[in-house]
Amino acid sequence: MSFLSLVIKNLVRQRVRTALTVLGISIGITTVVALGVVTDSLRATSGEILKLAGADFMVAQEGAADLSFSIVPEDSIPALSEEPGVENAEGMLFHIARVGSNPYFFLIGREHSGLTARPPHLIAGDIWPPDATDGILLGKRAARDLRAGTGDTVAIEDRPFVVSGIYETGRLLEDGGAYAPLDVVQQIAGRSGVVTAVFLSLSPGADPAAVGRSIEEHFPGLASIVEVGDYSEVDQGIQFLDAANLAISVLAVGIGAIGVMNTMIMSVFERTREIGIFRAVGWSGRRILRMIITESLLLCVLAAFVGSALGILATRAILLIDVIRNVLEPQYSTDVFIRSLAVAVIVALAGAAYPAFRAVRLTPMEALRYE
Amino acid sequence: MSDGRPAIRIRGLVKPFEKGRINALNGVDLDVYEGEFVAIVGPSGCGKSTLLHLIAALDRPNKGAIEVQGHELRSERRLDHYRSRDVGLVFQLDNLIPSLSASENVQVPMFERPYSAHERKRRAEKLLEQVGLSGKGRSRPPQLSGGERQRVAIARALANDPPLLLADEPTGRLDSASGRRILDLLEDLQKRRNLTIVLVTHEPSVAGRADRIVEMLDGRVMLAAEVPHDRSAVA
Repeated sequence: MSFLSLVIKNLVRQRVRTALTVLGISIGITTVVALGVVTDSLRATSGEILKLAGADFMVAQEGAADLSFSIVPEDSIPALSEEPGVENAEGMLFHIARVGSNPYFFLIGREHSGLTARPPHLIAGDIWPPDATDGILLGKRAARDLRAGTGDTVAIEDRPFVVSGIYETGRLLEDGGAYAPLDVVQQIAGRSGVVTAVFLSLSPGADPAAVGRSIEEHFPGLASIVEVGDYSEVDQGIQFLDAANLAISVLAVGIGAIGVMNTMIMSVFERTREIGIFRAVGWSGRRILRMIITESLLLCVLAAFVGSALGILATRAILLIDVIRNVLEPQYSTDVFIRSLAVAVIVALAGAAYPAFRAVRLTPMEALRYE
Repeated sequence: MSDGRPAIRIRGLVKPFEKGRINALNGVDLDVYEGEFVAIVGPSGCGKSTLLHLIAALDRPNKGAIEVQGHELRSERRLDHYRSRDVGLVFQLDNLIPSLSASENVQVPMFERPYSAHERKRRAEKLLEQVGLSGKGRSRPPQLSGGERQRVAIARALANDPPLLLADEPTGRLDSASGRRILDLLEDLQKRRNLTIVLVTHEPSVAGRADRIVEMLDGRVMLAAEVPHDRSAVA
């Protein structure tokens, strides 16, 4: 018999209590995993936006609650393109439109010149003619969802567009949306003379961080988003999700620890006499401590696996909803699972601390006399 | 009395209870020699079990000296080491862990020694064989008779080859035939392993199986006398 099998036997003899404790902790872990996957997926989507049209980074309005609310005057684009290290600056306007059953259709307004210079990968048709005002490039997913091909007409917010081409980038948001002339999107969005963000391509050898700092110095009110981590400067959404994730993790630890403590303290009380026998046959306090903490760790690690599996199932279930599927591609990063395991370990140690302390403090005689 | 070295040397041992109002032990002096089988007898409350618990280091005395196998127990810092290496303990109730098999119960003390899981299992099987329980290793305590459970408890007490075996009324809950077989086993183990055995009992027939009987009354040793007759005929 190994020490681990002894510990497992201790847990198995109270099957229902063990199962309920694992279930209780795993619900907390499920929340941590599901929210973590959603946050990471949103972060990945944001990362995709950052590199639109092959840009090195983007510039948007500082302090915007959401990137789609960002306003950058069009007339600042030439000045931005003059910044040292900047090879090209292109303004784009994002507009979230309702198209068909999708309320989050990502419409991107671009100048014809910019689109021609840095086009997405076209799989059918071509970019609309320079003077066209009703041309549109549909992403592959959008074309599939709208069942539209080149030459077909699609309506976006009651305005008809002729599909001149279809592109595929492999990026969820872009492939689920469309490119249309900038001035037309400005009209639809009611935001004349402004863009959402300016996408910058740098000269070879230029340091994005240094260029970004220089732009922020010269253009007060603008923020450079060089990495996904900078997103919070122009979009509070991910920050809120991160905060919610932390809060839920703390809650999961707190509630889970109370559950584990309850289970372990009952287990220690029930086995007081047994602990006395272990002490009487020579077990050290340290070994008793190890036994109780290992039991608690096993409970919680099992809960971490169950919770992670349930978390994956929960995110899969969420993705069955069309609206969410169009903006989120699940990202199952190792970080999320490491975090859930860390939560489980903290819960295990916090929950086992008092019961273990109580068990170790018992003298063999006290424990053996316990009825 | 044996001519050997004392395995246990006790002088002026005092153990009060109930915040000092009662002395369970009131100045006990006792020597037990290596390889000796000593029975401690006396009426209920005379302090015989308390004395055994102090020798087993389950509790600490308040006054006096108690030296067992060269360990001065009042000043010994690692009593768990002492309990795991130098002494084996058999209780009146077998005190086995019901969720573990007989073999696993015997293996419990071995966790404190550097044995591998395989070695623990092999040693447990051998010990169960020695106490006459070959083939019962996988049985759980509720599947065993009272006598068999007490044999498992004896095997567990011997798990780490201690030189000293302490038994607190080991036959107290057994029928006379089972009790006799347990005493036969203890005698046999004493001879084969040169064990020092200290057994607490209130039954004269059980005490008669020992080399020497120590009588206690009111927390003191009143008499320590060798058993004059052929002990195999007793019980």
